[in-house]
Amino acid sequence: MTDGPGYHPMVQRLLDGELTLRDLPPELRAEGEAALRSILPGPESSAVGFSPWFEQRVMAAIRVRPRPQPRPRTVWGWLTEAREIRLRLRPKLLALGALAGVALLVLTLVSRPTTVAVAGAGAGADSVYVRFVLYAPKVSSVALAGSFNEWDPGRTPLAPAGETGVWTVTLPLPPGQHTYAFVIDGQRWLPDPAAPAVDDGFGHRNSVMTVTATGGHTS
Amino acid sequence: MRESAIALLLLSGVSTALHGQAATPARLEGRVTPAVAEAVRAIADSVARTGLPVGPLYRKALEGGAKGVPADRIIAAVGTVASQLAQAAKALRSEPVAHDTDAIEAGGYAINAGLSAGQVADLARGNRPPQAVAASLRSAGTLAALGVPPAQAVALVHQWIAAGRSPDQVLLLPQQLQAAMARGASPAQAANGIAHGGQPGASGDHPEPPSHAQDRSHRP
Amino acid sequence: MTNDAEAVRAVLAGDIEQYAVLVRRYRDRYAGYATRLLGSVDAAEDAMQEALIRAYDNLGQCRDPANFRGWFFLILRNCCYAEARVRRRHGNHQPLDGADLVAEESGTPDTAMEEKEQRQDLERALRRLTEEQREVFVLKHYEGLPYEEIAKRTAVPVSSLKMRMHRAYDRLRATLMEKP
Repeated sequence: MTDGPGYHPMVQRLLDGELTLRDLPPELRAEGEAALRSILPGPESSAVGFSPWFEQRVMAAIRVRPRPQPRPRTVWGWLTEAREIRLRLRPKLLALGALAGVALLVLTLVSRPTTVAVAGAGAGADSVYVRFVLYAPKVSSVALAGSFNEWDPGRTPLAPAGETGVWTVTLPLPPGQHTYAFVIDGQRWLPDPAAPAVDDGFGHRNSVMTVTATGGHTS
Repeated sequence: MRESAIALLLLSGVSTALHGQAATPARLEGRVTPAVAEAVRAIADSVARTGLPVGPLYRKALEGGAKGVPADRIIAAVGTVASQLAQAAKALRSEPVAHDTDAIEAGGYAINAGLSAGQVADLARGNRPPQAVAASLRSAGTLAALGVPPAQAVALVHQWIAAGRSPDQVLLLPQQLQAAMARGASPAQAANGIAHGGQPGASGDHPEPPSHAQDRSHRP
Repeated sequence: MTNDAEAVRAVLAGDIEQYAVLVRRYRDRYAGYATRLLGSVDAAEDAMQEALIRAYDNLGQCRDPANFRGWFFLILRNCCYAEARVRRRHGNHQPLDGADLVAEESGTPDTAMEEKEQRQDLERALRRLTEEQREVFVLKHYEGLPYEEIAKRTAVPVSSLKMRMHRAYDRLRATLMEKP
């Protein structure tokens, strides 16, 4: 079954590269030229780019798989094997608007974590009480989530100090390094503006708090 | 549309490919989707088989769940943490701290911050009691996260240990760096200043224009 | 630079990070083939990822590490056909514009525009071919392989390949003549 007029067999061989235009009889040359121009891709068409994350996501998938072992099997079963879990590890584009919103919020908020170095009773013999303070007027709630509370903002709400716009919470932390962030209005995650920030692996930043026997320190 | 396709594949894959339905790890219950929990458990199982700590994997999954991150990104991030732990363990394997999970976790943290496996090994090798390897790694990692070139961060930590600074002082190097950056120095300049014991910019260099991070510190 | 055999042996010996050498090399080598076969970069990335993972899982069965390329190509081809089946089943019709396949322009703005349009027309027309027709066309005219090489890789005799190709030419011509 052909779709409309087919190419002359010699033009087909021209397209295949077996003949040149010169090999064609004069009456076929126009058809040959037209075919070469419209059917064959030009030299520039070859570049196709995958996303810059492609290699990273393949290697991430590779690293968590069992190591390949040399096997004596002679028959490939993969054609008929049940499909395994396919993890499409593709980073999604973040909503740039949300990022811009957080940045704006950061410029108007101030954090001054102060520390109260009191050996915590009932919180682990060497825990240190650390007070977190955030100046955030005009928000409805502020919570703290981090490595010390299983990243659960529900566990550690901050309390407002009257109408001042200041929010605080004091909690016992063991000495060492803790990562955390504030959660504004239950949904906007904000690293501590005054603390060192580290990449969280999701395109955002977490803050780092170092707790020593003398107290909690961000700066 | 893509999410439902992923969920469909994950769910169909879960029932055919997994042998024996295991319960969602209690820690993740209600915090991430069952599909994520299952994937994380699988990664954690293989990590645990090599003797590495699984805490960081679960914490990363919990963090992703709390932040509302899409399933595939959570799984990818957990995979990255696993990979970084493995790299750190490999870097530390010839050191006395080879089985110290705290040191391995700290090594993973440092690698995430930009240190190479070689630099992790270097810090472990150059460690002196009472300084803990884990603390050195965390300090260097945080310095790198603040913008100090990793090699310079490692050198600074080495220098402080060799000079007999207390473990707390080494641990608080990043805070000292931030204070210097708040005065206008770039991360590298601030680290240089600390290394030479003077004020940042003592060499008379022009401090770089304040970055966004420094602006935040200036706010009243 | 690590060659394929060295990379395969290193991975089988436990240095799994060396697999990245093969990932990069064959991503670059076959991205074009997979994309044109499937008609979209997204589909091609999925098929390529699947193929690289399957190749990794079965690396111990690569009998001749020096010919990883040929072995991998068969896996990739299989994954591309499987991906095409999955997408058809889920009713994933490819968008009709070839914008995601086009490379940079060259020449003056006018000729560049014309060339770009022509490329897009051709790529759109390619989607109207059957998979077998599209595959032989892509392998010959984008990958630059002679028929004998294509026959080796696809286990299809040269005469059948030529028949498919000539039908492809005719159909392309008909599709391109249709355009408004």
